[in-house]
Amino acid sequence: MAVLNRMDWYDLARTTNWTPKYVTEDELFPPMLSGEFGLPLSAWEKYDEPYKQTYPEYVKVQREKDAGAYSVKAALERSRIFENADPGWKSVMKAHYGAIARGEYAAASAEARMMRFSKAPGMRNMATLGCMDEIRHGQMQLYFPHEHVSKDRQMDWAFKAYDTNEWAMIAARHFFDDIMMTRDAISVSIMLTFSFETGFTNMQFLGLAADAAEAGDHTFANLISSIQTDESRHAQIGGPALKVLIENGHKAEAQKRVDIAVWGAWKLFSVLTGPIMDYYTPLAHRKQSFKEFMEEWIVAQFERALTDMGLDLPWYWDIFLKDISQTHHGMHLGSYFWRPTLWWNPAAGVTPDERTWLEEKYPGWNDTWGQCWDVFIDNVVDGNMAMTYPETLPYVCNMCQLPILGTPGKGWNVKDYPLEYNGRLYHFGSEVDRWVFEQDPERYAGHLSIVDRFLAGMIQPMNLEGALAYMNLAPGEMGDDAHNYAWAEVYRALRETRKAG
Amino acid sequence: MTEAQVLKPQKTWSHLAARRRKPSEYEIVSANLHYNDRDPNAPYELSPGLFMNEWYKKHTFGTALKHADWNAFRDPEEVVYRTYNLMQDGQETYVTGLFDQFNQREHDKAIDPRWAGTLARLYTPARYLFHTLQMASAYVGQVSPASTITNCNYFQMADSLRWLSHTAYRTRELSNTFNETGFGLDERRYWEEDAAWQGFRELMERALTVWDWGEAIVVLNLIAKPAIEETVLRRLGESARHNGDMLLALLTDAQLIDSARHRRWIAAFVRMALETPGNLELIQGWIAKWEPLADKAIDAYCGALPDVSEAAASARAATRDFRRSLGL
Repeated sequence: MAVLNRMDWYDLARTTNWTPKYVTEDELFPPMLSGEFGLPLSAWEKYDEPYKQTYPEYVKVQREKDAGAYSVKAALERSRIFENADPGWKSVMKAHYGAIARGEYAAASAEARMMRFSKAPGMRNMATLGCMDEIRHGQMQLYFPHEHVSKDRQMDWAFKAYDTNEWAMIAARHFFDDIMMTRDAISVSIMLTFSFETGFTNMQFLGLAADAAEAGDHTFANLISSIQTDESRHAQIGGPALKVLIENGHKAEAQKRVDIAVWGAWKLFSVLTGPIMDYYTPLAHRKQSFKEFMEEWIVAQFERALTDMGLDLPWYWDIFLKDISQTHHGMHLGSYFWRPTLWWNPAAGVTPDERTWLEEKYPGWNDTWGQCWDVFIDNVVDGNMAMTYPETLPYVCNMCQLPILGTPGKGWNVKDYPLEYNGRLYHFGSEVDRWVFEQDPERYAGHLSIVDRFLAGMIQPMNLEGALAYMNLAPGEMGDDAHNYAWAEVYRALRETRKAG
Repeated sequence: MTEAQVLKPQKTWSHLAARRRKPSEYEIVSANLHYNDRDPNAPYELSPGLFMNEWYKKHTFGTALKHADWNAFRDPEEVVYRTYNLMQDGQETYVTGLFDQFNQREHDKAIDPRWAGTLARLYTPARYLFHTLQMASAYVGQVSPASTITNCNYFQMADSLRWLSHTAYRTRELSNTFNETGFGLDERRYWEEDAAWQGFRELMERALTVWDWGEAIVVLNLIAKPAIEETVLRRLGESARHNGDMLLALLTDAQLIDSARHRRWIAAFVRMALETPGNLELIQGWIAKWEPLADKAIDAYCGALPDVSEAAASARAATRDFRRSLGL
């Protein structure tokens, strides 16, 4: 045969560990950057990535993928999809690009951390490709939204969001910086690739692509599914690392990293994805509720991934299973009420028909969340718009940086989980958030949440206006109701009917 | 809320909108992407004193190599992911074509066993060396203060994997013809023990532990890479030609196309760095500190290439010519 098969030479391309002589192994692979597990180079040479790819295959396949995605974009560029899209869908795009695009680019450096500092040669090469993937994801998810910047100032946030103190971005940075930017190579592989990418984004991207297709946005659907096909290649990086750790008696440390990352991912999902699926997506296009999505795609899938790996379910699994029918309703109510602090326009999603759907998917919704919305709806119908906007900041959690919420109305269970550490009082939105803090207090203790900053006088003037300026939000960028309160007309009509009757 | 001016949409990202020129795809997707420069006290959104925050404060933002706006850096070739793959898929088609055609012509069977011995000692162990370039580029990329600089390093990292992959491929092929020569088995021993490699091994082990970003980018791109490219690619390629190994000669020529691209971006980088007073002396100081180690590496390696006349002297001169062309 004239050309070798990939597997004839694949192993040689990852036979690259050597014994350093002019510097020590610890100097070449500082434990704080490589992973403090005390395992020598030889232990890591057992690492074997299940999904293999070589450089020539990579550039060929990726070239073809880009050709596909970019040509779909070019073909549909003049189709006025953006102008004609449902405002709820535009908000999904804005939230997605702002919170994700530059985070994806940052992930290239997380991959580069594994490339340089992992002692596992197979991981180093896969992370080289993973780094390239994340450059792609960062670049595409900037190039695609850039098409719309001249139509809508909020689209500028696809780029700008990461440079701001907007509260959701503080939360996003806090989570991503914790799991991927400030961890050693092995921890990155567990927390970013195994816990976040395998556990959450892989599935999330499938759902998002389906939603985009439903919304008629084929450019976005195509973009997202193209990105998703890269995920499975680099999301695998953590699995074999977990295997090496477990085989060498480090299961507890591995488990702890998984538990921390999964919880943080869940909290971020509850504010970014939950509201989108259950409130922003037009009722006719909702295939399943956020809870059903979580149960089918995340819970079942992730339980299997964990047990296959020889790990246990996180200790808080029962709390998590309970929260998937609650947390995101609070996140939606909170983010909608504080809508001027968003760079997209949230959809209320509480018409009578939608409330019937919510009650069906989440029995008891009308007696709890619905009670808050009743008051809100009355104010809108009465024209008391000032009452529908906030005047202060909500308390936020010192771990996930999201509002501390619970179930309101007849199911009232709002609770703070405080902790005093080194003379400072911290607040947490759940037992689990507090537990994460306690695992490594020094990682988090010196950080100030947006409320801590407010109380420390770092936000001036000390009112909502000052807070909006601090969050880099100006009129033209600040969010308001996606449908300009058109949904309230139904309630106004109902009230008229009642009066007439 | 007071009546403030309502922001209107602009034609491009707000950070690019002030300029008159329409931004290119490259600028839209490459410029100002790092967000770890927003708070000098805490690059990442966690405790300011966290190990990794201190690492970036010291090694990225604390380097003596200064510029008021590193984000103004532009890759002269404006490589983006999309064009990188277009370019390298084409290059790989060429290289795979070489492998295919030379194999069909039974090129390896015509190789003199003595040259095969030289390849086992001086060529195939280079996969370790190329991998160190991959690692070093990954480090310089992750600590660079501007995304446009980071990207050049990451593409360079991928190119290093490319060279490593070519080497692994050829190693296996050679082992099929010369199964007694130790191809695929002995490279680590040569890399760790053979005198010809010890200079490069020392240079790269030490270069890989330079954490300061400014010094690291200089050591990697102005010292180590030129030394490696002028020897393990260019002089070895010459030697291959002299020994009838046209495949290796054409392969190293193909890899030198990547190297030429790396030199164009680092040249642009040096030009930019020299805008700041004091950087010239600083870079020259780092060069003076590291050049002897690179020279030692060149000498040790070229000493084993007897049929290339003046190999070491010409390689040394080429590295200096390159640096001189940058005003260093």
